[in-house]
Amino acid sequence: MIQNAAPRVLRAMYVSTLNLGLPPPPGVFRAALTALRRTSARRFTSNSTPNLTTVPDNRTASARDDRWVALIHAIGARQDRQAFAELFGHFAPRIKSYLQRTGASEAQAEDVAQETMLSVWRKAALFDAASAGVATWIFTIARNSRIDAFRRERRGGAIRVGDAEAEFEIDPTPGAEARLAAGQADARVREALAELSEDQLRVVRMSFFDEIAHSDIARTLQIPLGTVKSRLRLAMKRLRGILDQDL
Amino acid sequence: MSVVHHPDDETLAAFSAGALDLGQRIAVATHLTACAHCRDWVRAMERVGGALLAEAAPAALASDALDRTLARLDEPTPAVAARARTAKDLPSGLPRFVESYRFGGWRWVAPRVSLRPIVLPEASATRVFLLKAPAGVGLLRHDHTGPEMTCVLTGAFRHEGGRYGPGDFDFGDDTVNHEPRVEEGEDCVCLVAMQGDLRWSGWLGRLAQPFLRL
Repeated sequence: MIQNAAPRVLRAMYVSTLNLGLPPPPGVFRAALTALRRTSARRFTSNSTPNLTTVPDNRTASARDDRWVALIHAIGARQDRQAFAELFGHFAPRIKSYLQRTGASEAQAEDVAQETMLSVWRKAALFDAASAGVATWIFTIARNSRIDAFRRERRGGAIRVGDAEAEFEIDPTPGAEARLAAGQADARVREALAELSEDQLRVVRMSFFDEIAHSDIARTLQIPLGTVKSRLRLAMKRLRGILDQDL
Repeated sequence: MSVVHHPDDETLAAFSAGALDLGQRIAVATHLTACAHCRDWVRAMERVGGALLAEAAPAALASDALDRTLARLDEPTPAVAARARTAKDLPSGLPRFVESYRFGGWRWVAPRVSLRPIVLPEASATRVFLLKAPAGVGLLRHDHTGPEMTCVLTGAFRHEGGRYGPGDFDFGDDTVNHEPRVEEGEDCVCLVAMQGDLRWSGWLGRLAQPFLRL
């Protein structure tokens, strides 16, 4: 279900950029097209694998990030339901697909996606644009909601709210990364992802995002287990190499 | 002294993705409490998660999903119960959420080696405990039937892989057969998250196995 998704994702990516429900800020659309053209030009002129499978170019992405930050602030400052609906429109369907890929049933995924967005509404005033981008922030809320929901299910409903959140709150003496502004750090990560080969990115995504065991990845992609492991190791090493330069 | 031994990148990524079970998450969180470098990497991996989420292929929602969520926006926010620290005499270096767990009493598991179980709030395939031994004690040569994560809290031990001091993280699985020895100085206390059992090698170990089972 995930393999060979590259062209589809690439298309979906540009469509989603256009479908945000707001007029694209001037120049952004053109920038996106130019970037796309540049990428496809590179596809034919260099040996490097085209790698923009899930990662939009930074100007498009950062305009979108700014929009999301504005929406979160509107929710936090004045309980703006319209802003919430717009954010919901982008993220809820994606949270649901993320949850389904980590093994949740459709009903569970639907519930947790709504639960996550409810937390976004409640925590919006606490959002700190200096420490995380909106997508990253929502990702961590979805991750925590998922863990809490599975626990609730196993224990038959009785659980303290917010347990998983505490488990990821490591005493925050800001490390080196805190020196980079959140937007900048997000851009770096996007660039780093864009530098991975398509194969590497796919293995990273399946392994971390889809939580598929390495042996299942090998079966799905029909490659030897050793190849999965070496691709993953290489991908992590490249990410590490690119990201460590900034830290 | 700074931390030398870290979890591998994949383990940190699995932590960031929420893919580790609670026991292993505790072991990694203990390391993160001591290691700013790995905290940075975890945050970078969360950004990867964010970037992938933002671009994930959307799934179709129930047609009334938005309306149902909008209808719940005015519900009161559920209170988060603050959990007090209950156990006494805890070593330093534990993540704060672990300090609020229930701890069992120390019990003897091998000559001069004692163990203190940590009671997890949910069933986990991984058992988590503190392990304590004074200077000079060597654990019997052993290997593992399942993966084992160890993070040093106080003191230090040494084995074939090097020296492990406070904050250092050690990973063992069924490919590892090592013989750790506690260094001179204060007692070594480690947090261990272990799946399966330890197997002691050698005739003495096999003889003692039924008694030493952790």
